Amino acid sequence: MEAQLRPGAREAIFAQLIDAGRSEQVARRLTDAIILGVLTPGERLPSEQELARRFGVALITVREGLVLLRDAGLVETRRGREGGSFVIQTDAPHSALLQARLRGLAQVELSDLAVYFSTIIEGCAERAALRASPVDSERLRAWLADSAGGGTAGARATAGGFYLELAVLSQSPRLVREHIRLQAEFGPLLLLALGDAGIRSRVARVNGEIAEAIAGADGPAARALVAGQVQDLAVWLLTAKARIERGGQLYDPA
Amino acid sequence: MTPPETTPPETSVPETSVPDLTDAAQLSLASCAAEVGEIFARAFRTLEGWRDAIVAAGPVRAAELDALVEALVVPALRAEPPAPGGVPESLLIGAGFIAAPQYVTGRDAHFAWWLGPLAGTPLLGTTSGPSRLDLAARVNTEFLRDFRELEWYQVPESTNHTHVTGPYVDHLCTFDYVITLTMPVRVDRDMVGVVGADVFVKSLEQVLLPHFLALASPVLLINEAGRVVVSTEPSLPAGDILPNPRHPLGDYDRMPCPGTPFLIATRTRNATI
Repeated sequence: MEAQLRPGAREAIFAQLIDAGRSEQVARRLTDAIILGVLTPGERLPSEQELARRFGVALITVREGLVLLRDAGLVETRRGREGGSFVIQTDAPHSALLQARLRGLAQVELSDLAVYFSTIIEGCAERAALRASPVDSERLRAWLADSAGGGTAGARATAGGFYLELAVLSQSPRLVREHIRLQAEFGPLLLLALGDAGIRSRVARVNGEIAEAIAGADGPAARALVAGQVQDLAVWLLTAKARIERGGQLYDPA
Repeated sequence: MTPPETTPPETSVPETSVPDLTDAAQLSLASCAAEVGEIFARAFRTLEGWRDAIVAAGPVRAAELDALVEALVVPALRAEPPAPGGVPESLLIGAGFIAAPQYVTGRDAHFAWWLGPLAGTPLLGTTSGPSRLDLAARVNTEFLRDFRELEWYQVPESTNHTHVTGPYVDHLCTFDYVITLTMPVRVDRDMVGVVGADVFVKSLEQVLLPHFLALASPVLLINEAGRVVVSTEPSLPAGDILPNPRHPLGDYDRMPCPGTPFLIATRTRNATI
């Protein structure tokens, strides 16, 4: 459900990039956002100058990235005063792109990303449990209660938003920044697991348990619950990769 | 002074054997509390000026409103990053006016918000001078629903009073630990938006630390929830909550900072250290 998406999740798309191959990174970041519905069909992307400033790259790099997106059929560019790059309206799933992305990462890279992501968010959750005031805990419960439902897209938005809430509750700007950077890099892949109905219901249940652990100031419990949840998502992702490598589908039809 | 609510369980010294604080210490604490009160009173006076100017301008088009707000707030923002160890020339790192839905014709929401120079944020990178917050282009219905729920908007809307939010990690603009001050802007009985300003906790610390270090015993600035803002107690840093298992409430005397939701807390003389 789009309405549950927090602005932080949207802004994370535009977090600065660091490495070489920057035009590919620009394309990948925006591709992930379009696939996950963070950028919605018909939406106008920020201007090329604005994208360059936000990503911290040269204008030419942004233009190259946008060419990749156009070639992939994800955006179209219109000229004129009301012009710009727009997300193309499509109902077709972008499974080919996702499968290419999954195949492009080695298993060892995927599992290492999961370890790093988990370590940061476990730390956020544990610290949140030590530092949340009763008002914070109540707000977190209410946030989760407001977020129920919405199918796969809603579950992804809720899961991503919940992680961000945990990071914010840690009261640590550095943890928040690092989490936003990691979520932009790895979140879209990790949250693919929420296309599975069984995982969706487990994540919803465990999110509730995490919120209760935080309300109960039980740091070790919050940490263990988060670790278990990320492990659950990572196991699904590695299983899906193996399925694709064998010539199967991203989502198990069974 | 707020009396301790609980007796520290581990103290062996009878409560009545020593006075809580000497008169001199009491005076120093009061001066810290007064200093905090004065800092926030100054900031709220600034916000009042902005509020009155926006009300006086009446309903205007977006471009005129933006020009007005920019002229009001940018001079009040910090112009340059402070030198290491230096006290910033302004405590305000972000400021502006956030309009209620439909106040700016044809817009669900309108953010006229400017940011001072920022270092290495994930969203904006490093900026050397004031820049406009660019949420406006990205505000849509889902965000509209969001921002009205946020404490810095929702509380002034429901109470009609100024509000201090935080300290909290701001994950929208500065990606830093901040305190947000907001004041409702009303035309007749309707709230047409809020004027507000963000203060970095680290800047507030730079201003308050000399006062706190002048005191003989550790001092904390906490909010109503007990969240530590500035502290000279190393085991109770900014972001922690007082009380916690290591720091029972009974170990601390608390004194309100006038006109703010903050309190100065200091160890009682008989607390176990």
